[in-house]
Amino acid sequence: MFDGIGFAYALNMAGIPIIVAEGVSKTFGTNQVLTRVSLPVMERDVVCVVGPSGSGKTTLLRCIALLETPSEGRIVMQGTAISTPQQEKPVKAAARAVRSDIGMVFQHFNLWPHMTVLENLIEAPLRVKKLPKDQAVASAETLLAKVGLSDKRDAYPARLSGGQQQRVAIARALAMAPKVLLFDEATSALDPELRREVLLVMRQLAQEGMTMLVVTHEMNFARHVGTRTVFMDRGEIVEEALGSAFFDSPKTERAQRFLQQFED
Amino acid sequence: MFKYQFRWDTVWGSFDFLMAGLQMTLIVSGITLVLAMLAGLVIALLDMSKFPPARWIGVTFGEIIRNTPILVQLLWVYYVLPIVFGVRIESLVALVIGLSLYQGAFISEVYRSGIQSVPRGHSEAAQVLGLTPLQNFVRIVLPQAIRMTLPPLASNFVQLIKFSSLGAVISVSEITRRGMELSATNFRPLETFTFIAVVYFLICWPLAMGIRWWERRLQAQ
Repeated sequence: MFDGIGFAYALNMAGIPIIVAEGVSKTFGTNQVLTRVSLPVMERDVVCVVGPSGSGKTTLLRCIALLETPSEGRIVMQGTAISTPQQEKPVKAAARAVRSDIGMVFQHFNLWPHMTVLENLIEAPLRVKKLPKDQAVASAETLLAKVGLSDKRDAYPARLSGGQQQRVAIARALAMAPKVLLFDEATSALDPELRREVLLVMRQLAQEGMTMLVVTHEMNFARHVGTRTVFMDRGEIVEEALGSAFFDSPKTERAQRFLQQFED
Repeated sequence: MFKYQFRWDTVWGSFDFLMAGLQMTLIVSGITLVLAMLAGLVIALLDMSKFPPARWIGVTFGEIIRNTPILVQLLWVYYVLPIVFGVRIESLVALVIGLSLYQGAFISEVYRSGIQSVPRGHSEAAQVLGLTPLQNFVRIVLPQAIRMTLPPLASNFVQLIKFSSLGAVISVSEITRRGMELSATNFRPLETFTFIAVVYFLICWPLAMGIRWWERRLQAQ
């Protein structure tokens, strides 16, 4: 097998990655969920992480989002370590500095139900970036227009459909102008007919050059929108390929078996 | 029983005397609710503390209070604290202290379950967006937790009104105590205690109904 980092550098020698997982392992108790996973994400990359459930995809994403501390290895953002097993003081300080450069969209949206759509969007820009209110509102309105929900500005999340809630959640993440946007199975909690509207927004972001790391079960999205596909199984990266190559000619038997499930 | 001659006039004649007791009951309940909410906050913070000794104190205190009778606690505060600290405690103060600690131990659980009812994902979303832990608690967790705790807190107030009648045994001059004093002079316990029960009911029942309606409305949201 190849070394993940070397492989990616070979793909895209220009520049340093925006964010890298370097040899990340994670154990919960005695349960090893990730085993030395290395994954660099370059600028404008749309990396899709696929694999069976329980393969560690979400845990990897949560380590990169700084929601979990790796048991081994580290997360590096533009050359600076932002998460290590010991979480030393300089690492924590570095993490605080880049915290809002990493956006995340959750499977269950996690909108704040006691705030309107607009309040959800301006909360972090007001409190974290300390933007003036009119400026935060103006950019929130632009983002709502972008995800097609201008008319829901003053609605509470509970009044929206799942697809609309997820689009608001994407707008909320974009409001901090992140350098990389992580998607944790963003369409898995949605009814099939509501997935499309979310996938369309994600596709549009990809086309605009947003750097994205997408954990997904949407093989079509990975195949047609992803610039790179990473296949994980049992806590390891088993295979990775550019563009649609992973789907056209999976190399490993595990990947072939995984992809068979999606054939009708 | 059938030959009993009701003498409600013995109650009406002392109406003002009893109502002054009711006033005391409500004052005690109101003050105690505020103190119990503060005591509950302290106990909840101890319970959720990162420091094991603090947690141990909070948990032990809560368990002792919740698993001993309130009447024994009141007697203990009234008779034992003066021995330990060598100061005489007013019966009213003893009642307020005893009830506050007792209700506080229950209210701390209300707070805790309120905070735990907020899905973790909500604060994770805030964390990823860069909110500090304090901002996260104040802006995201607390507003949602408070909504969940208001109806149980109101229920606690109803309970306090009823428990304050225990003040009678340490001679706090609230409505039950006054009823005991009245029936000892008019020899009409039936009328006296029936009247007092009705007064409690007329206060507690509408409150309880209102809370139920309020809870349903919150759930519907």
